[in-house]
Amino acid sequence: MNYRVVYDLALVLTKSQLRGYQRSRLLVRLFGDPRIVLLADVLLLGGLGGLGLLIVSRVPTQLRSMIPRSEGQALAGIPTAIAFAVIVFGVLYEVSQPAQIMNTDLVNWLPVSPAEYTAGSTISECYLYSFMACLFLGVLLGPAIYLGVIATWLAAVVMSTISLFAGACVVELIDASTNRISSTFYKRSGRSAILFRLAITIFFLVFIQLLFSGQIAVFLLQSLVRTVEVAWFVPVVWSSVSVLSLSQGDLVNAAVFGTLSVAFAAALFGVAVGFRRKFWVPIPVSVRLSSRAYHPIKLGLKLPGIGAAESAILLKDFRSLVRRREMARFLAVPFVLAVSMSLPMLSPQTQPMPAEIFTQLILFVIPLVVFCNILGMTSIGQEGHAIWNLYAAPLKPETVLKAKFLLVTFLGLIFAVAMVIVLGIFSGTSANLPTLLLVGVGIVLEQASIGTFFGCRFPDFRETGRARYVSVWGSLAGTSAGLIVALVTVAPLILATAREIGSAYASLSSVALAMTITGVALKAAVHQLGQLFRNIQS
Amino acid sequence: MMFGERNLKTVQVNGVYKSFGSTIALNGVNLSIDQGEVLGLLGPNGSGKSTLMKIVAGILKPDRGNVQVFGKDVASESVEVKRIIGHVPESPRLYEFLTGMEYLDFIADVHGLGKAKGERIAEFLKALDLEGRENELMNSYSHGMKQKIGIIAALLHRPKLLILDEPLNALDPRSARIVKDLVQKLRDSGVPTIFSTHVLDIADAICDRIVILDNGAVLAEGRSGELKAKAGTPGSSLEEIFLKLTGSSDTRDIVEALT
Repeated sequence: MNYRVVYDLALVLTKSQLRGYQRSRLLVRLFGDPRIVLLADVLLLGGLGGLGLLIVSRVPTQLRSMIPRSEGQALAGIPTAIAFAVIVFGVLYEVSQPAQIMNTDLVNWLPVSPAEYTAGSTISECYLYSFMACLFLGVLLGPAIYLGVIATWLAAVVMSTISLFAGACVVELIDASTNRISSTFYKRSGRSAILFRLAITIFFLVFIQLLFSGQIAVFLLQSLVRTVEVAWFVPVVWSSVSVLSLSQGDLVNAAVFGTLSVAFAAALFGVAVGFRRKFWVPIPVSVRLSSRAYHPIKLGLKLPGIGAAESAILLKDFRSLVRRREMARFLAVPFVLAVSMSLPMLSPQTQPMPAEIFTQLILFVIPLVVFCNILGMTSIGQEGHAIWNLYAAPLKPETVLKAKFLLVTFLGLIFAVAMVIVLGIFSGTSANLPTLLLVGVGIVLEQASIGTFFGCRFPDFRETGRARYVSVWGSLAGTSAGLIVALVTVAPLILATAREIGSAYASLSSVALAMTITGVALKAAVHQLGQLFRNIQS
Repeated sequence: MMFGERNLKTVQVNGVYKSFGSTIALNGVNLSIDQGEVLGLLGPNGSGKSTLMKIVAGILKPDRGNVQVFGKDVASESVEVKRIIGHVPESPRLYEFLTGMEYLDFIADVHGLGKAKGERIAEFLKALDLEGRENELMNSYSHGMKQKIGIIAALLHRPKLLILDEPLNALDPRSARIVKDLVQKLRDSGVPTIFSTHVLDIADAICDRIVILDNGAVLAEGRSGELKAKAGTPGSSLEEIFLKLTGSSDTRDIVEALT
């Protein structure tokens, strides 16, 4: 193995991932230098350690007795948590990469051996996620110094590094094997494979979001510590068992599980290299959607002003949402929001949802704003380089915009209806549902138009990993504008509720306001799209 | 406007100037194309061929000057002009999450082809050997297959003007022959074509007139024979004339230096 090649590959892959996540040239340049990352990690460890020491020394005396037990368990939990975090983030990155990027993996054509590539890629993953280990370990450094268990802390550092490496090897393994599995699977299953992939991606994204919701995270951490104590036969927790054993003074167990962890990481690396060797060049996925003759879909949009061109763009954009794996995260938004909202209500300790319109409005409007706004803002940028097709076609900006707006409205209305039904079930009353539905229609229309306006004004056509499709400033401005406008729209209803006046007139006022905003935003969006079509630069 | 009248000017490019930042892509280009004429655009990489084609197609707006297509000003009536143009870009930019058939169906709808689209798409798919692959997602298509889809998309709506930017790139010999024959058949029925290529033999064979662009300006213009006479090398190939006119005839020295 040529270690110079491994080092160079690790650097290039790290920069490539950083550019996918972070567009700032300064940050990419800074974090493209391993010395800077190392320095940042040391500063993070030192800073958090100092802060932790300061806090621990001021903990009331009656609580201090609890620290030793918690410290040992927390240090033991870190290596396994790190491995899981690397796997989750690594796979998440893979999921959000456009297929074009995957297929043009240049390294396949370079004189690099599978072992060198796997080593470079694994080191790059470790390098990128080292901050997470430093964050956890930094938090526990202060208490470790205070309690004099620095040896256990150092063991946690070593075991976390091994776990980081093992987690990165698993990501490599998944990456290499999905090349082959997905191509074989898609070839056989066609359309159902695409739907299956969409469902899996959405499920995965919902799962990740839930991991970061406080309730679930606490539950998982508690389970993890319990698991570490009993599941010594699971290789992924061996590193944690080693640290736990050391914290309990069992040096033999600590040494055995430490050695086993190193062996496990080495074995994973060997398997990952084997997979890379076998599935070295990604096989182009050839998906046949149907073996029958093609019949154009009749959309049945016989609304005034909706012609064949609008219907064609709408259908094309819908297919883009459903078929492109990098677009699945936008479709996952309503599921994530719905599940996040429902979880606290499903807990046996929580009270039933209040039936007041005010509470229901908050629960209803915010997810709706987020969903429609995001879909609208990304509707232009998601065209990518293929926007050329719209430029070259005999289309007026109004036609394109109408189609974009209609799709967001259509999906937003489905979400609004589903949310109203869910709210009705959880609150146990249908009294507020007509009002919510009426306001929901208004919110969907105005947010679709505002989102589309910002999408036309600040599009980002770059097709990189984790592409945003709208510039950072556009996204911030669009989301802020959406939330402010939504607040203005529901203001009559909130005022009527506060003064205990009937909500019928108030909701009609809200809808009238929303319609006016929609009209203005759509006009502005058409103007912006016209500008975009006139100012093409290449 | 009647086809077959060869002296009618279908495209008029008048003093077109275009720059991208500090790079001047086109520097006062004037040219015209007659009815049923195949105009070959030649020039080194970066000479402004693609920019000129995009301006004629109404995709880019010139900084100065104007372009008329069948009497319509491209800048102010770009939608009307796009309706009658068929454009194949230098590299196909397709919606790769669609199947070939879905993409062509989309293009047909955008051009408002109506019910006749199915039959027409099927004819083209068969002619260009894509039959049987039309229901596959285009992200698995080869470059040549994508190029064929781009060519079909440009021809579906029976354009009155064809703009082909290196259309034969990556095509297999049979498909390349079909495209060349199509261009010649369309020329016979009066459809003018702007044809850019780096393969000078093809330009020599199918273009009625050749324009050589260099650094955004027209370096030479005329029929192949006229260009040979202008270059003072009547017996030479178009390649030799091209290299001589664009100042790149020192290739032998370069090859020597490289090897």
